Amino acid sequence: MSQRVVDFSSRAWNNRQMKMMWFHLMPYPNLPDDFNEKHRSVWVDIDPALFEREVMAETYDTYIDQLVYAEDCGFDGICVNEHHNNGYGLMPSPNLIAAILANRTSQAAITVLGNSVALYNPPIRVAEEFAMLDLFSRGRLIAGFPVGTAMDTTHSYSINPGTLRPRYYEGIELIMKAWQATEPFAFNGRFNQQRHVNPVPRPWQKPHPPVWIPGGGSIETWDFCAANDFVYGALTYYGYKMVRETVSGYWNRVEAHGRDDNPHRLAVTQFIGVADTDAEAYKLYREPAEYFFNRSLHVYPGFTDAPGYVTEASVRARYKSQVRQVARIKQAKHDLTWDEMVDNGYVVIGSPDTVREQLEEAAKELRIGHLCAMLQFGNMSDELTRFNTNLFGEKVAPALKTLFSEYDDPWWPQNAR
Amino acid sequence: MSKRLVYLFGIAGHPELSPAMRAVEAAGWEIIVPSVPGFDGLPGFEPRDEYLDWLTTFWDSIDATGATPCPVVGASVGGMIAAELAALRPEIVTGVAVMAPFGIADGDDPGFNIYGTPAAERMGHLFAKGVPDAFANRFAHLGAEEAPVASYLSDVASANILWPLGDRGTRKRLHRITAPRLTLWGDLDEVNPVCNADAWGGAQVVAGAGHLLEWDAPNQVATALLAFLNSLA
Repeated sequence: MSQRVVDFSSRAWNNRQMKMMWFHLMPYPNLPDDFNEKHRSVWVDIDPALFEREVMAETYDTYIDQLVYAEDCGFDGICVNEHHNNGYGLMPSPNLIAAILANRTSQAAITVLGNSVALYNPPIRVAEEFAMLDLFSRGRLIAGFPVGTAMDTTHSYSINPGTLRPRYYEGIELIMKAWQATEPFAFNGRFNQQRHVNPVPRPWQKPHPPVWIPGGGSIETWDFCAANDFVYGALTYYGYKMVRETVSGYWNRVEAHGRDDNPHRLAVTQFIGVADTDAEAYKLYREPAEYFFNRSLHVYPGFTDAPGYVTEASVRARYKSQVRQVARIKQAKHDLTWDEMVDNGYVVIGSPDTVREQLEEAAKELRIGHLCAMLQFGNMSDELTRFNTNLFGEKVAPALKTLFSEYDDPWWPQNAR
Repeated sequence: MSKRLVYLFGIAGHPELSPAMRAVEAAGWEIIVPSVPGFDGLPGFEPRDEYLDWLTTFWDSIDATGATPCPVVGASVGGMIAAELAALRPEIVTGVAVMAPFGIADGDDPGFNIYGTPAAERMGHLFAKGVPDAFANRFAHLGAEEAPVASYLSDVASANILWPLGDRGTRKRLHRITAPRLTLWGDLDEVNPVCNADAWGGAQVVAGAGHLLEWDAPNQVATALLAFLNSLA
């Protein structure tokens, strides 16, 4: 493994453009064909015997190499995330992966989306590890703070659902204060009491790394982002068409808080498959998409919520929103056909022109300043992943990057490309 | 001794008195049911930060009734709280009857994860003989739109007390209970298996009853409760 040497002192990137991020879920690629019949859930109580250590070790190597390759293909950022007891997300500790990436890359934003703050005791641990990553990367870290799913937080880590969100908010408050404090201080919160808060090291970026909040559509998270001037990350597996309602709700709250409509306030995930022709893409990406949607997302419905995980306001919105009810029913079926995935925009596939047209339309309509492209999904082979990544970087990304050039991006790391 | 008792209800709240408790009432006992925030499904409930905050909430609710000192009967979550009350405030508890109390998770069987199952299916796991109408329709009077919200909020309260759905340390305080104690348990309890009764020093096991045994086996439970309560007099 070679260390790249870069003169960071002279770097001055033009950040006035739509950013292309390469987002990896790191799925286990060998779930058996009869997984859905023999196992009730890919998450929380998945059978540990399904995971072969040799496959796991090789998979980590391959996936890390793919993230590094994404930088070579011109992606502005590379993204990792946190899941627990999970068969489609093999990163219980994204910071370990990010540490490797910080060392093996030199330009891409190291985007950790993120650390579920309430799971860390004390949460100052997140401040310390993110500061280390920011130093390793010389100021390329994006610090993501998700609440975390019910599967990860309440069911796998047994955090009390009724206090998860106040713990989360308090943890972020502590981290932000610790990063910016010029001297040690005492912290006495509802859940955290720490006599000497003084994390060493502090981050490279001043006053702190950009903060992004990945979310699934809760009203409180929209308000939290808008109030604190954080980026909102609409992390969806169901594509830009299904996330319209969520994004619209977010932008309404941004406006209500008196913020501007800078597209860089938003990041959206999207599965994408590019090939030389539409027909070839339709053929190439069917299997990995079906693997992901019909096997990796086989989550027992009892784990998708826990009493208190959703706030009262969001519960009311849930029961009043027919649109969301329909969406949930559709998502719960787990028997999606490939045509449904394509027609509904869960996966954007096609030739470079076809993909670019759809993504440009989505970016303009939803005002997506940061596109988190998921170019590896399901059991996609390394060869196809690299083909997809290279083609996107070469023939799709350049056109998209011209969007939103009139907007500065203050939520971009100081030393990322 | 006046025939008055405090009743602390279980995991699914208190839509109405159970058949067993109605039988106790019919035998001349005045039953005082404290109003506990959250279980009523009313808007604005704030989960408590920790277990001690819940004990304080229950203490305040019980004290507000002015009913103590007297016997305390508790079911499920209420059984756990009744035991804590008897251990920590023995001067106000003249006898304690607990039915399938949470608080001690012993052995290898953690029981059925009631909150790791879809909300619509939860009730069915609390009873061995079908869900009583009182629970099936517990918030129906609020209307189709508000009822599921109230149901959710009620579950928030009980889950907030019980999480992380394991041992709550009650065992460490059992030795402080000086009042006479009765422990009842359903042999078909899914969510709090009868094997946990050993840590409570054993229990009268009620055959054919699930977790909320006072609904599944009203006659056996009422008979046992009345024998215990009358022995206190």
